[in-house]
Amino acid sequence: MPDTSPAGSAHGASIELIDLTKQYEGAAEPAVDKVSMSIPPGELVVFVGPSGCGKTTTMKMINRIIEPTSGQILIDGQDAMSLDPVELRRGIGYVIQQIGLFPHMTIGENVAVVPRLLGWDKKRTAARVDELLDIVSLDPSSFRDRYPRQLSGGQQQRVGVARALAADPPVMLMDEPFGATDPITRERLQNEFLRLQNEIRKTIIFVTHDFEEALKMGDRIAVLREQSHIAQFATPDQILADPADEYVSSFVGEGAALKRLGLVSVGTAPLQSWGEDASGLPSIPSDVTLREALGVLVGAGSDRVVVRGPDGPIGVLTMATVTSMLEGAGDGDC
Amino acid sequence: MGSFLEYLQKQYDDLLQLAWEHALVTIISVGIGAVIALTVGILVWNKPVSRAGAVAITGAILTIPSFALLGLLIPAFGLGWTPTVIALVLYSLLPITRNTVVGMREVDPAILEAGTGLGMSPWTVTMRVQLPLAWPVILTGIRVSAQLIIGIAAIAAYVLGPGLGEVIFSGLSRLGSANALNQAIAGTVGVIILALIFDAAFVLVRRLTTSRGLRA
Amino acid sequence: MAIVEPIVEPGTENESPYRTGSHWWQGNRFLSVQMWLTPLVIGGIWLLVYFWVAGRELDSIEQRTLNADYLLTAIGQHLRLTVVATVLVILIAIPAGILLSRTKSRTVNNAILGAANIGQAAPAIGVLALLTIIFGVGFWIAIAGLVAYTVLPVLRNTLIGIQQVDPALTEAATGMGMTPGQVLRRVELPLAVPVILAGLRTALVFCVGVATLATFVSAGGLGDIIVNGIKLQRAPVLIVGSVLTAGIALLVDWLGGVAEQTLRPKGV
Repeated sequence: MPDTSPAGSAHGASIELIDLTKQYEGAAEPAVDKVSMSIPPGELVVFVGPSGCGKTTTMKMINRIIEPTSGQILIDGQDAMSLDPVELRRGIGYVIQQIGLFPHMTIGENVAVVPRLLGWDKKRTAARVDELLDIVSLDPSSFRDRYPRQLSGGQQQRVGVARALAADPPVMLMDEPFGATDPITRERLQNEFLRLQNEIRKTIIFVTHDFEEALKMGDRIAVLREQSHIAQFATPDQILADPADEYVSSFVGEGAALKRLGLVSVGTAPLQSWGEDASGLPSIPSDVTLREALGVLVGAGSDRVVVRGPDGPIGVLTMATVTSMLEGAGDGDC
Repeated sequence: MGSFLEYLQKQYDDLLQLAWEHALVTIISVGIGAVIALTVGILVWNKPVSRAGAVAITGAILTIPSFALLGLLIPAFGLGWTPTVIALVLYSLLPITRNTVVGMREVDPAILEAGTGLGMSPWTVTMRVQLPLAWPVILTGIRVSAQLIIGIAAIAAYVLGPGLGEVIFSGLSRLGSANALNQAIAGTVGVIILALIFDAAFVLVRRLTTSRGLRA
Repeated sequence: MAIVEPIVEPGTENESPYRTGSHWWQGNRFLSVQMWLTPLVIGGIWLLVYFWVAGRELDSIEQRTLNADYLLTAIGQHLRLTVVATVLVILIAIPAGILLSRTKSRTVNNAILGAANIGQAAPAIGVLALLTIIFGVGFWIAIAGLVAYTVLPVLRNTLIGIQQVDPALTEAATGMGMTPGQVLRRVELPLAVPVILAGLRTALVFCVGVATLATFVSAGGLGDIIVNGIKLQRAPVLIVGSVLTAGIALLVDWLGGVAEQTLRPKGV
């Protein structure tokens, strides 16, 4: 982690969608039908839904890659339609599924695109490029001058994110950004991005068809139907505990309770104090989820597990605590 | 063989001069043609009707025998350089137009969308992203054009156009004389060598102008 | 002066001018305006030139060339040259292309393509000049020149076209138990038909174009008229000769295109 303020200090902007609609000519129904949504600054909202429900179309209307037919988009109170689209897009980070790195430019040149468009001088741009490559865990001196074709899929994806962050935009649009990689790389990218977002707190719209990813990444999730009608717009925990209808339940599937445990970190659970009698018990680090802790408990056949902090054990977690957190938070499985 | 070498020795300067003229008229014509064809290609690549029309028209021009096209231009422009260059420019259009259009279309739309999404103006996307990526294909079109023009320029010598064709026609008109064969060989081989030189030059240009990121 | 070989893979610019439109009377493509556009335009231009010439007072020199007899003779000679040369080219280049596609060796392949490229660089007029100086004048000299010039591009296109048949298909066929001969006959050739037809069209266009140069080996043809116009400095003769030649070339190309479309097997 760089020691100076990383991706920038600009916090997110608020986004407000008011009756946003997209009607294609000759189509019977609108592709996106009167979507309204309010997103406070710094929140990561996930649009999740089946293919064809319009989630990507809705996202692409925010930076006017697709022009809305009607409705309003307010970014920090300003009407997006009143701005020159080119100017608008320079202030919004854009990461697409196919990544879209420019093959004829080096990695450094790719990342520098928006700063150059904005007229930053060479020194400032170069410094920023190196900073960003560092943030996405790519060593600047070795990657700066390479070409996209020389990078792996996961590396290209990181560059895509770095490129979107370059001019430090308050808003980011991400369309299945980690989709084109294998599950292991994807998980790593997700974790790194969450850590990053924790620091920079931009307002992000994240589109995915993978419900697990939505649960993991989102501060709030918008579960969408056809024409982007909102089935439920709530936090992951709320959706798991209290799905609005059968459609949302179908996403949640079986085992909502376990999934909810997966949202809570062991460190936030009430722990018993650690004593001598706890030696010989299995132990887990404090940053894993309750779901993994449950797995350890069941696997070891024990009803208690030691929780380790950075400087040593900080407490003991019991099976009873885990079960009570399950019950206390609401309904069980659907 | 002996007489041929003798002939070469005597005519070396003249032949070189003609070869130079031949190369010059090629470069000028393909240059002008490339400017026109590239402009047209950039304007119509994504408009199916205009695109088909442009390709059809330039293709039709190419189907017209060069002798006939020259014949049409002479009443208006006389003999010599002018009708030659006009005809050569017209002939150079199809390969370049077609390859420009194809090259532009082959660029992955996701890359273009990424450019637009980052905030590039449509002009910037075309000039800084699409054209550089389409360039290898476009350059191939220019190369094909040049090869074509070198051959046609030889015929244009009949209407007093510049270049090595003059030597070939000279040999033709002197059927039966000692030097006829020498002239025909010198002219023909000269044109072949010129074509090969141009081809090699294009390989060089391609190396120099294609981004390292594109070389597979 | 000839149609350019497809440097870009054949099939990318497949916009056929003969595809039908969406109106009811264009269901039958033989009735579509698009298909008959070329001959109609050419016919129209010829009519215009005819009326222009008919309206002029032709001097005796011009009359010697611009009369029906002379013109028709020239057209006949030209077409004879074109057809004979095309047939010969097809008979030589396509079987040769098929045979050569059998070699798996890359060096042989590249050598052939390289030779074809160099051969193509030789100007048609040069080839004709060499032939006539060495062997004399006449119809067959012209044919020899036409064939020599046209064989290489058609050969190259045929070779490339057959090689471009998806190897997965030939592998599937072999896997089903077909002999190499059967694979060739039942899979590769049918799929290569579009390429062969394109080669036929290319041959036609090359030949009709180079045949204008047959005048230089005393084999007649439409080039005679144009040369007359230049030598005698008579604009009407030049214009008639050029328009006639251009029109015939475009018509031959059009016929070739129609053949390509109609003879193409469905589904390819």
